[in-house]
Amino acid sequence: MRSTWVWSMAVLALLAAACGSGADIEVADVWGRPSPSVATNGAFYMVITNNTEVADHLVAASSPACAAAELHESMMNDGVMGMAQVGPAGIEIPANGQTTLEVGGLHVMCIDKQAEFVAGERFDVTLEFENAGTVEVQAEIKES
Amino acid sequence: MTDTFAPEAEQPPSRRWLGLFLLLVPLLIAGLVFWWGFNRSQPHQFSGSVIQGLSAAPDFTLSSDRGPVSLSDYAGKVVMIYFGYTFCPDVCPTTLADAAAAVDSLSEDDAEDVQLIFVTIDPARDTADRIGEYVRHFDDRFVGLTGTEEEIGSVATLYGIYYRAGEGSEATGYLMEHTATLLVIDQAGNLKIVIPFGVEADAIASDLEYMLR
Ligand SMILES: [Cu+2]
Repeated sequence: MRSTWVWSMAVLALLAAACGSGADIEVADVWGRPSPSVATNGAFYMVITNNTEVADHLVAASSPACAAAELHESMMNDGVMGMAQVGPAGIEIPANGQTTLEVGGLHVMCIDKQAEFVAGERFDVTLEFENAGTVEVQAEIKES
Repeated sequence: MTDTFAPEAEQPPSRRWLGLFLLLVPLLIAGLVFWWGFNRSQPHQFSGSVIQGLSAAPDFTLSSDRGPVSLSDYAGKVVMIYFGYTFCPDVCPTTLADAAAAVDSLSEDDAEDVQLIFVTIDPARDTADRIGEYVRHFDDRFVGLTGTEEEIGSVATLYGIYYRAGEGSEATGYLMEHTATLLVIDQAGNLKIVIPFGVEADAIASDLEYMLR
């Protein structure tokens, strides 16, 4: 009985290792749109995966490409499009789940661009998670 | 009895294939012609809401970095009007990029008959120089317009566009809330379709192509 249990645990561990890189938080497809230099601000989008059993929250972001960065959400109210900072809890990444920051929705708002957002350019972005701590990623500037 | 069947049985396989081919080709052509005719008889599905009846788009004049611009300067063209602001990092540049890709996908003749006008709803920050450079980044045929608060307000009202300054942070200052639709005026000068945010370039292009037919 005992050895069956040990074996199944070993198999599960192997499967888990094969399925993911194992990081608690994985961030993919980080990108931003090219914009003219007269456009003061930019936005970064990405897909965040939480591989842990508890919900995590993206609570802050920063980048040398931005004088300041805020977590924002664009939303439609009665047909009027607005944009606002998310609440102090940040952006939730559900346990064993995924949150997508995308056009017309959640985004990292890059305030007062410090660099040219030209296609092909890459910028370092530092993400701060409540549980997972600091995660460094790179945003690619591209059309979509 | 077996003699009557002999010639067919002895027919080389290549000739039998030829017979099948000769039978299938006309069928295929008939099918294609039918499909083409059927498609053409289908009404075009616009990507936005269609304004029924004639609704003449009211004329207006605002400022660009290349002098005053009136809607009537583009009489005879399909005109897309969008109200937005350069401070907007998400919704406005996405719409402009989609509109630019749509115009880009048209034939040269069609593209010449299309004009995009971007009107700022944030004239305090968007000077004529800024808005001009901003829209030309997306397509150098695009025109960006600004004016006084009163001028912008009255044009927005004419087109049923709502906007207001909302609270921002210390870093952003105020942020605008605005109706984020793309208004399309046909070649006869009537407001024809209202395209909501999020419609992609190929759908916009197919609307433009249809309106230019
Ligand atoms: Cu934002």
